[in-house]
Amino acid sequence: MAVKVGKPAPDFETNAYIDGEITKVKLSDYKGQWVMLYFYPGDFTFV
Amino acid sequence: MVLAISIDSPFTHKVWQEGELSKMVPGGLPYPMLSDTGGRVGELYDVYDEANGVDIRGRFLIDPDGILQAMEVLAPAVGRNVAEMIRQIKACRFVRETGEATPAGWEPGKKSLKPGAELVGKVCDIWSPDMAF
Repeated sequence: MAVKVGKPAPDFETNAYIDGEITKVKLSDYKGQWVMLYFYPGDFTFV
Repeated sequence: MVLAISIDSPFTHKVWQEGELSKMVPGGLPYPMLSDTGGRVGELYDVYDEANGVDIRGRFLIDPDGILQAMEVLAPAVGRNVAEMIRQIKACRFVRETGEATPAGWEPGKKSLKPGAELVGKVCDIWSPDMAF
């Protein structure tokens, strides 16, 4: 599935670290909000 | 909502947050740090670098309906422009709320355009290239 502007962003579920807790996050949990999803090569690098 | 994502585990995120990020940002990053184990999500967004096993610097702006509105992918050694990203969020919100269009270099308060047949061939009457800067 290609990623295209104007098309649905692919949904996914991953583990996440939030406020000291480890939990699951699903992109579609944030429907109704603007979401800025950013990928970066690795922790301890710059973003 | 901001979501950061890399191939690192939640435990690595914790160590980075507590050991380094919290020294740069009081209280640490105020948003979730996601773990893209095996680059599965990076593959969905076409930013997974299989040779190096990492996600490259892709950034995706998704609207409240889950539709992708903007994206940018940079080479790993090139850092992003946060001000431009925030400008794009403002422009996308403006377009969604008003149905108007934002020409090059638009910032809040600057001239927007009302798309339609009347505008065809008339952009030069209301907009000039110096307004892009």
